[in-house]
Amino acid sequence: MQTHDHEHDHDHEHGHQHGPNPHYQDPKNADTPPPGYYEIMEIAVRELLVEKKLITPGEIRRQIEVLDSRTPALGAKVVARAWVDPDFRSRLLANGRTACEKDFGISFYDDTELIVLENTDKVHNLIVCTLCSCYPRPVLGLPPDWYKAKPYRARAVKEPRKVLEEFGTHIPDDVEIRVSDSTAMVRYLVLPQRPAGTENLTEEQLAALVTRDAMIGVIKVENRSNP
Amino acid sequence: MSHTEDLLKRLPNDIGGLPADDIEQTDHVLLPWEKRCHALADVLDFHKIINTEEKRRGVEALGAEMVGKLTYYERWIACFAVILFQKQILTPDDLARKIAEVEARYKDTTP
Repeated sequence: MQTHDHEHDHDHEHGHQHGPNPHYQDPKNADTPPPGYYEIMEIAVRELLVEKKLITPGEIRRQIEVLDSRTPALGAKVVARAWVDPDFRSRLLANGRTACEKDFGISFYDDTELIVLENTDKVHNLIVCTLCSCYPRPVLGLPPDWYKAKPYRARAVKEPRKVLEEFGTHIPDDVEIRVSDSTAMVRYLVLPQRPAGTENLTEEQLAALVTRDAMIGVIKVENRSNP
Repeated sequence: MSHTEDLLKRLPNDIGGLPADDIEQTDHVLLPWEKRCHALADVLDFHKIINTEEKRRGVEALGAEMVGKLTYYERWIACFAVILFQKQILTPDDLARKIAEVEARYKDTTP
């Protein structure tokens, strides 16, 4: 197998990319430190599975592309559509997954169900995964580290008001807080309330207001479009 | 009430409702190997080799000390190795040999 191993008399400027794929490190590249114990284990497990023909390198590469294509911007589009299109909103609340698949072509690569929880004047929703890190990855991408860490997982179900205060979110006592605990098969997405004063914004402008944390439920969507 | 009773009722992952520190709003961009590890998890799930719930239980089975000390994706790759041994898809010998091979590849940096 011919590779590019021997073009090594180039000078070693920092910051340039070696090879066509930034997800893999060139073993002969002296610019980057050698992989650590767990990275070596990842390489070894993956290569063994490829050798046994149980997976292919192409599948890993394609899945990295899928992961890279999922960001909170996708969820924000779904939320903005629900704010402007009542028919879509009812279908989204009836079945989050099929509405996202049908109207946005979002694939649920992890084969999970999606339940969309609507915030109202009376109810504020918050999502968590107490057991691990289940999250609506197809529509939001990967969860932030704090979502996967012990303090949020342990406390969100016990003292959600206090947790929300730590995110700077005050929920009045007469508003019920509902915390939904995700599982391997069932994921949740919060449909935040549309902020006041956004009547004249386009769907695209509305989507730009919706953030990841608002779709987890730890903050509200703010109208940042007004001076 | 014995302390061991609590251990039985609460496996290491089952932390919902327990007292814990304030939330630090931490995040980081995944390292390339972490992203590959995530993609590997998804591909193993697609092929029904290791599903999400098996992965979660596999992490839990690493025990409280490892769950506490290893980082998120370190726990994942460690539990994949254990599950693949248990399912007799890989042997510890296979992995040891391959790890030595990969280490040698990265050590050989002489011009």
